[in-house]
Amino acid sequence: MSRIGVFVCHCGENISRTIDVERVAAEVGKLPGVALATDYKYMCSDPGQNLLKKAIQEQKLTHVVVAACSPRMHEKTFRKAVESAGLNPFLCEMANIREHCSWVHENREEATAKAIDIVGMMVERVKKNRILPAITVPVTKRSLVIGGGIAGIQAALDIADCGHEVILVEREPSIGGHMAQLSETFPTLDCSQCIMTPKMVDVANHPMIKLYTYSEIELVEGYIGNFQVTIKKNARSVDENKCTGCGVCMAKCPQKKIPNKFDQNIGMRTAIFVPFPQAVPNTPVIDRDNCTMFKTGKCGVCQKVCGPGAVDFEQQDRLVVEAVGAIVVATGFDLYSIAEKPKGSPIKGYGEFGHGKIPDVIDGMTFERLASASGPTGGKILRPSDGREPKQIVFIQCIGSRAREKGISYCSKVCCMYTAKHTMLYHHKVHDGQAYVFFMDARTPGKSYDEFWRRSIEEEEAVYIRGMVSRLYQKGDKIVVMGSDIAVGVQVEIEADMVVLATAVQPQKGADILAQKLGISYDKYHFYSEAHAKLRPVECATAGIYLAGACQGPKDIPETVSQASAAAAKVMTLFSKDQLEREPIVARVRDANCVACFACKKVCPYGAVEEKEIRDRQGNLVKVVAYVNPGVCGGCGTCQATCPSKSVELDGYTDEQIVAMIEAL
Amino acid sequence: MMQVIDTSIHAAVAEAIRREAQRLLSTGEVSAIVGYASARRTGAVQPIVINDADSAAQLVFTSASVNNLAVYLTTAKKEIPKTGKIGIVVKGCDLKALVGLMGEFQLKRENLYLIGVPCVGVLASTVQPAVELTSETIAPKCRECDAHLPTGCDFVPDVALPPMVPLETKYATEIARLEALTPAGRWAYWQEQFAKCIKCYACRQVCPFCFCEQCLCDRNKPQMVETTPRPSGNTAWHIVRAMHLAGRCAGCAECERACPMDIPLNLLNRKMAKELKELFEYEAGLEVNESGPLATFTDKDDQSFIK
Repeated sequence: MSRIGVFVCHCGENISRTIDVERVAAEVGKLPGVALATDYKYMCSDPGQNLLKKAIQEQKLTHVVVAACSPRMHEKTFRKAVESAGLNPFLCEMANIREHCSWVHENREEATAKAIDIVGMMVERVKKNRILPAITVPVTKRSLVIGGGIAGIQAALDIADCGHEVILVEREPSIGGHMAQLSETFPTLDCSQCIMTPKMVDVANHPMIKLYTYSEIELVEGYIGNFQVTIKKNARSVDENKCTGCGVCMAKCPQKKIPNKFDQNIGMRTAIFVPFPQAVPNTPVIDRDNCTMFKTGKCGVCQKVCGPGAVDFEQQDRLVVEAVGAIVVATGFDLYSIAEKPKGSPIKGYGEFGHGKIPDVIDGMTFERLASASGPTGGKILRPSDGREPKQIVFIQCIGSRAREKGISYCSKVCCMYTAKHTMLYHHKVHDGQAYVFFMDARTPGKSYDEFWRRSIEEEEAVYIRGMVSRLYQKGDKIVVMGSDIAVGVQVEIEADMVVLATAVQPQKGADILAQKLGISYDKYHFYSEAHAKLRPVECATAGIYLAGACQGPKDIPETVSQASAAAAKVMTLFSKDQLEREPIVARVRDANCVACFACKKVCPYGAVEEKEIRDRQGNLVKVVAYVNPGVCGGCGTCQATCPSKSVELDGYTDEQIVAMIEAL
Repeated sequence: MMQVIDTSIHAAVAEAIRREAQRLLSTGEVSAIVGYASARRTGAVQPIVINDADSAAQLVFTSASVNNLAVYLTTAKKEIPKTGKIGIVVKGCDLKALVGLMGEFQLKRENLYLIGVPCVGVLASTVQPAVELTSETIAPKCRECDAHLPTGCDFVPDVALPPMVPLETKYATEIARLEALTPAGRWAYWQEQFAKCIKCYACRQVCPFCFCEQCLCDRNKPQMVETTPRPSGNTAWHIVRAMHLAGRCAGCAECERACPMDIPLNLLNRKMAKELKELFEYEAGLEVNESGPLATFTDKDDQSFIK
């Protein structure tokens, strides 16, 4: 006979405001098998948990139902408490009378009746709960970091410094990401290259970091502690082991007019190239789409001049498999290219701003390259159209961001600060120039941030105009900016030499495809979702996968670095044990009933289903059945739902438990 | 207007089956053959399993060879010892079931010797086996048949099919009629049909795809489907059945033939097949397919139902 203890929580007033908790306890106490039903103000607090523990021991309870919040909130808390009182943690269930009841109803009478039903269902369910022993799996103490921007670099360095091997994968030919493109950084105006490149060198020299550049993630299999990752190393056409990085190939390459993506396509590069001189690794890549040799079969100059004979036109893409225990995703962001209306996306584009049509309408990242000492103009602010210095420059903020009607409702967070920085950089370089900024409002929370913004106005003479721009058009060699100043209530028209648009921060293209490979969730903009917005901000809901940087949402550098170190700390927490204990909520196959149709195998998203042979004592094959590897199983229950013969049961969610709940209604 | 269907090829087909069976069993190429033999009633035909060359003479093929013999090769049927290769006589419609079973890992192609039969149609379950095959007596499934000549078999008698007379469709017409009804009207129709069910499970026993060793309807812990023939349990059973067959059933219509209460079971199956075709461009039984549309997700799948 069960002796069930039911503990009803007030959750301060969250539950008791709408539900008569005393009555719930009294009604549920009458159910057969319930030995004790009581209520308490905060069940999850220390005295609340002690009440539960004491009751288990004194009343010799066999099962526990905690009627409180969602199991996502406190199931772990209460199962731990139950365990410390000597019961198997899986004999404890949560009845969610907060999210599913008190928060969504107003009528006290009806909500109380519903709460009684919910708790009653869980009482019937818990009667069918079985003791589930914990499952342990080994942990591979190597990690994968996807993305070699500042987030990936920081996470990789932190993990590697703790003595664990890191595989760092970068899609571009060099690590460095967007931070390597920046000129100076707010709020201190220190040079981005000066603080970034030493870190890139540290990565290259670190004995515990294995670097794959010009490589992509092809396939991810396995589970926390035991991932198998297939990496596609794109053909570089240059042997990394032979190349000395002397650069003669680049000097001799006849194809010199290819827009360099690193310089936002305003600088030019050769067909065999490193994206920038400080690239890590300093090994060139042949851009096969633009190389004369690949296009016509004739040329091969780079091969002829290469001393060590590193140029290899025959090189093929190669697949490499790496075993890792944890994955840090740091794929970063991209700027919203506003002329585009991406297919299947809610984003509508900004044709009216002439971006892509008027050459001197550029985005913020292009301005960074113009202002950068290592950029295509050597740090001079010059117009892309005619190379003249702009004397009147207009910055427009919130392009794309915070514009629900245009498809993006979020704030890109970094634009207010970098536009303030741009006005300063402009003022430092063009002393007789004037900068105007159209803005909705300045968002400058952060250490020394507001002071920085004030400085751009008070000391660097930027004119801030509160209001938005309706239209831009070319007039002679000027760009006419038509906007409104809502503070004064007048229309403004400025004849500018150059316009810089603070376009929205978006996730990298293909972020959704990578997420599908990793089995992690993302929002409608394809930013990756954390497990809990407040309490688990660097972990994915998928165990063993962590997030760092702007792939999760717009972030500035300090925030990205903090999150990367936090993700590294999470990886280290995982690696601190040799064995990983995981929840025993896994599927089991009943051999006697299984007819080996393997429908389960087809639908299993974790690849956990294997074929198992059953043999008699003489070793003759009796039958083949499906087998679920408990280490791999994610406990999603898809196999259970699919199995036509109902031969699969998910521990903790058996048909018996579910039917018991339905029948209790 | 009633039209007589030319069944003259059946004699030559039967003769060719007998010769091939004799050869297979005398050379030991197969250990047993599942085929058709004459039954007691005039014109009637029943399934038979033979395992010696002499018995090959018993094999026949007529328009009364209605059974889908694939059912005898499934796990649920233990009658045939699973030793060596087994020969089986298959009509085009039956072959689709075998193909489905291969995709579900129940049979291996290399363990089968397929004797395909060119077939002009078989008799409906509602007529006597000795009657002439006409546009009136032909089984409804044969009216919509697209597999008169099975493909991919090990042996097919070299007999040319006579030209086929186009016949009026039954299932397609009936589906169109039901689709035009309101949901309430369709519900009423099926409630009336299911109310006839006596839970004899003949439909389950005769279906090649009901190969579970223990049907979930026979479980009692927990009981998924009420066992007594009452409306709620009947509806549950038939919905479970239809759902389990969606994307698998290729329309041999054995369930409908075996049903003593004349419930139009294949109509339900055809409706499910139609849905699958419209949603996923998928037709069961055309090729060995290890992941049907309901077990896979592709980005081409219709998402419009997610709102």
